[in-house]
Amino acid sequence: MAKRVLMRGNEVIAEAAIRAGCQCYFAYPITPQAELLEHMARNMPRLGRTFVQAESEVAAISMVHGASAAGVRTMTSSSSPGISLKMEGISYLAGSSLPAVIVNVVRGGPGLGNIAPAQCDYFQATKGGGHGDYHMIVLAPSTVPEAGELTMLAFELADRYRTPVMILADGMLGQMMEPVLLPDPVDPAALPAKPWAATGAKGREPNIILSFDLDPEGLRRMNLELQARYRTIREKEVRHEETETEDAEIVIAAHGTVARIAKSVVRMARAEGIRLGLFRPITVWPFPYEPLRALSSRVETVLTVEMSAGQMWEDVRLAVAERAKTPFYGELGGVVPTPKGILREVKRHVG
Amino acid sequence: MEPETYRNEVENQWCPGCTNFGILAAVRKALAALDLAPHEVCLVSGIGQAAKLPHYVRSNVFNGLHGRAIPAATGIKVANPALTVLVTTGDGDGYGEGGNHLLHALRRNPDITVVVHNNELYALTKGQGSPTTPVGEKTRLQFTGVEIEPIEILATAIVHGCGFVARGYAGEIDHLSDLLVQAIRHRGLSLVDVVQPCVTWGERPPAWYRERIEKLPADHDPRDRAAALGLAASQRERIPIGILYEGPPRLVFADRHLKRTSGRALASLEPVKEDEITSRLARFRR
Repeated sequence: MAKRVLMRGNEVIAEAAIRAGCQCYFAYPITPQAELLEHMARNMPRLGRTFVQAESEVAAISMVHGASAAGVRTMTSSSSPGISLKMEGISYLAGSSLPAVIVNVVRGGPGLGNIAPAQCDYFQATKGGGHGDYHMIVLAPSTVPEAGELTMLAFELADRYRTPVMILADGMLGQMMEPVLLPDPVDPAALPAKPWAATGAKGREPNIILSFDLDPEGLRRMNLELQARYRTIREKEVRHEETETEDAEIVIAAHGTVARIAKSVVRMARAEGIRLGLFRPITVWPFPYEPLRALSSRVETVLTVEMSAGQMWEDVRLAVAERAKTPFYGELGGVVPTPKGILREVKRHVG
Repeated sequence: MEPETYRNEVENQWCPGCTNFGILAAVRKALAALDLAPHEVCLVSGIGQAAKLPHYVRSNVFNGLHGRAIPAATGIKVANPALTVLVTTGDGDGYGEGGNHLLHALRRNPDITVVVHNNELYALTKGQGSPTTPVGEKTRLQFTGVEIEPIEILATAIVHGCGFVARGYAGEIDHLSDLLVQAIRHRGLSLVDVVQPCVTWGERPPAWYRERIEKLPADHDPRDRAAALGLAASQRERIPIGILYEGPPRLVFADRHLKRTSGRALASLEPVKEDEITSRLARFRR
């Protein structure tokens, strides 16, 4: 019988990956996601699966590239500077239509930054990040249990759409402990076959996995096929959550850790008679433009709150356009906004 | 010049009793022995515990990306050949993340000194196996012991004909400082691998290393490539320290670059004169 266990965010993501049937995990140590490696190092080998501590982040993403081409569920994880190093590999995965899960436990940036929680990699995650016309599905958990659920989902979506999927967490989610009901494990042998994978061509035509075509017409077709897939993803995979938005005059738009904090702010504001709601994108790519557009015609103000200088804010403004006011409140450099601080911002924009 | 010249007021972040303090003392002592003024020196590093060393030295400092100290140092040296450029890196930063750069520096031969704090693990991220962790050693991640062989960088450097290949010990400050003096004097790439027991995450105490460290005999000829290769290999029974190898003279990267350009360095160590500072400031006051 399933039971609740107290686990750290990094460990929950690792355990969920194992339960999702991740066969090969490759990573390089970096704070604040070191516990993710530890959980994988402790558990993958005893299940007959692969854990490799790579010599660099570039090596790790390339190992993912290879393992994915060979047809297994595979994952890498890192934190911001390490994710930057993986970007070339992610672009190749996207270009080659290869499924993979990449975990970014975001820390303060740019450059070396620090090891405190941040959301400053939103642009990198949702707008491509690497070179070329590509996207990856980006899932933004706001609690430790949700980090586990979304990791399971990430593997499903990666295989279904043959695309890299990113878990966009942050240092707080990675380090925080919460009671978690772990999902039932998937049997890797029971997963749908990957007829495209490079598994040995005996008795069939060879599978060729490429991210290039020197002929512009050919590359155009490849890109059009990718774009068609992105359209399908936009149609079918948008996920978001609304809290107390039915009668709201103002809503906070926030993802991840900030959305979790904003839930407390909704309670605090309601206690003071302020009709505050929360709009939380769960997929930040594809961004829930339509639901936010619909909501924005019913409210006065959509206040975006982020641990960045206003990155998701751009998507919020695209969705809202002129239908509501779109102020912004952000904290930078690893500073986490407090419920009081957010409530103060809310009050500046009501009445 | 006194070692104190290079002391600054930056708060030290190493663990109490860290053997990196020995390397820091040796670096300061070597710079003093060479009579180099702080403005004539640039310490370059990436990320890791070793990469913090430049923070604790009063000199020019460049602290850049993880694993990329050697390319940064190459750029600094080619822009300002008058600077004495030292890289302080570790086995993770220098042999893992940036291993490729070290290989190509061996080919390019910039006039820089690479000091590797080799503690046989990743200390900044709290004790994972590194490229030099011995086979079988249990770590924070390698629970049942490291399975892959340690990298043989000193032997690689010798095979590449590196002009100065040495091994030092963090607990032998005078000996290490002397090695650094010679490494810095050497024109071209010098590689000094420093055995640096980690008192926090390491499996074995400094005493274990102390027992095995032995200075090279006086009759070791550093031009003897075969003998050097034998001494360079990682071994656990005895750990020879000293100058293992001095390769034949080779063209130095910055020299080649200067010959092909104006012959004049892009930057110099000449202090900017007072009237020039005044005239430059005046431009902002307009």
